[in-house]
Amino acid sequence: MFGYIRLELLRTIRDGGFIIFGIASPVVMYLVLSNLALAPGDRHTGAIVTMVSMAAYGALGGAFNNGSGIAEDRAAGWLRQLRLTPLAPAQVVTGKVITGVLGVVPSIAAVLLTGVLVNHVTLSPWQWLSIVGLLWAGTIPFSLLGLGNGYALTGQTAGMANIAAFLGLSIVGGLWVPTAGFPGWLRAIAEWTPSNSYAALSWDVASGTAPGARAVVILCGWLVVFGLWALYAYRRAGRTA
Amino acid sequence: MEIDAVSLTAVTKSFGAVRAVDGLTLAIPRGQTVALLGPNGAGKSTTIGMLLGLIPPDSGKTAIFGIDPGQAVRQGLAGAMPQEGGLIPRVTIRELLTFIAGTYRAPLPLEQVLALALMTGLEDRRVDKLSGGQAQRVRFAMALVGDPDLIVLDEPTAALDVEARREFWNGMRTLTGRGKTVLFSTHYLDEADEQADRVVVIDRGHVVADGTSAEIKKIVALTTVSVTAVGEVAWLGDLPGVSRLEVRGDRVHLRSADPDATVMALAQAGAVRNLEVTPADLEDAFVALTAKETV
Repeated sequence: MFGYIRLELLRTIRDGGFIIFGIASPVVMYLVLSNLALAPGDRHTGAIVTMVSMAAYGALGGAFNNGSGIAEDRAAGWLRQLRLTPLAPAQVVTGKVITGVLGVVPSIAAVLLTGVLVNHVTLSPWQWLSIVGLLWAGTIPFSLLGLGNGYALTGQTAGMANIAAFLGLSIVGGLWVPTAGFPGWLRAIAEWTPSNSYAALSWDVASGTAPGARAVVILCGWLVVFGLWALYAYRRAGRTA
Repeated sequence: MEIDAVSLTAVTKSFGAVRAVDGLTLAIPRGQTVALLGPNGAGKSTTIGMLLGLIPPDSGKTAIFGIDPGQAVRQGLAGAMPQEGGLIPRVTIRELLTFIAGTYRAPLPLEQVLALALMTGLEDRRVDKLSGGQAQRVRFAMALVGDPDLIVLDEPTAALDVEARREFWNGMRTLTGRGKTVLFSTHYLDEADEQADRVVVIDRGHVVADGTSAEIKKIVALTTVSVTAVGEVAWLGDLPGVSRLEVRGDRVHLRSADPDATVMALAQAGAVRNLEVTPADLEDAFVALTAKETV
């Protein structure tokens, strides 16, 4: 299975979609948003909040991109080829989930490093640790949604569904523009999205408070929903493969 | 008794109203190279899918070396090349084959696989930047890199041009020389004729003929004996072995199950003029075999 993870990570690193959506786009957007849109006095706070937003945005990009990969693999006959090797199907699924989890690391790291090196963000060591841990673990629901779409839909449709979910959740969840500027009805929706809850955990830590229980509950709720979706889609794909 | 490499017993599979495989029974002893020959839609791919445990049969039993196919694949006893697909972008041939090899307990050394698949020197090419023939050889290499005892190839040369087909079979022969059991499907009759020890003809989901290609030709009795004859020729149709008589101009063509006896009788009757004996090619045999079923 390690061989499989290694191969999948190699493919991820060489994937233009991953580089663009998972690394380049969040870093560039971070630099733009944190340096152009803010009043000078708010710079440091803004740089921290936006850093978390963009790291979350990039991590989502990596997680959904991994899910789209499954649909491509299915279309290419790669999943069938794997079934013709001694690898067990459960090892393949586990390997793909681990690839997704590892694949978001460069996205998070790239934005956080940009925060430190370019915007001179300073946080205490426990804040850094908590943010990295929360941003990392929090991608699991999105990985599952992406994988579910990858199993349920065919090649291009899955890719489009995942990009739509990725951009939709990023924008509505307040990762691009803070929800404070949203009209009331949109803010009400935003507060129930997994992406908003996901980023809120790290926003709280960055501002020096403990993550809110509400965000944890909402994110865990979505984890269950997306987990069931992935399970259903995987079983259905197994019957028709 | 030695356990057969492949064993399919009364296997049936339907897709909706279509019965793709209909009570097919086939046993392949170790070491044989067998061609599964049939027209498109005969049930070849479904049969292979069931044999490899990719498609669950509706009824009947399947086994590879006496055990469940899925288990046999898990143990690395069988390697297969599906009809299409299986290649992923953004990896090199070396990376891909090293990964596949790593899933087996005792794979072949990479150099040997590359040599067998005629890819020496190409190993650092990206898989998505290969020609059709090269891609097909990578797929072939994936089937054999684990050094399985049974190799199953579904229409391995369907997408190849004549030159690539020839090269492909050269690689194959090295392999069968190593005592492997090989099952391949094809609708190229010459391939079945030239490459296989045994030809199994399937049509409409079941076996319609099974034997060496010479035996298959014999079963359908398609050797043609022709002579030049004038006048009354109907009596030629009653000669020993003759199953059909056809007159074209002054040539009489006799289809014979026993061409030796037919020629002897012609000689005794003094009717040998411009005698010509044409053995059937497998194509004729094939058309005759599968046409029998047509109503």
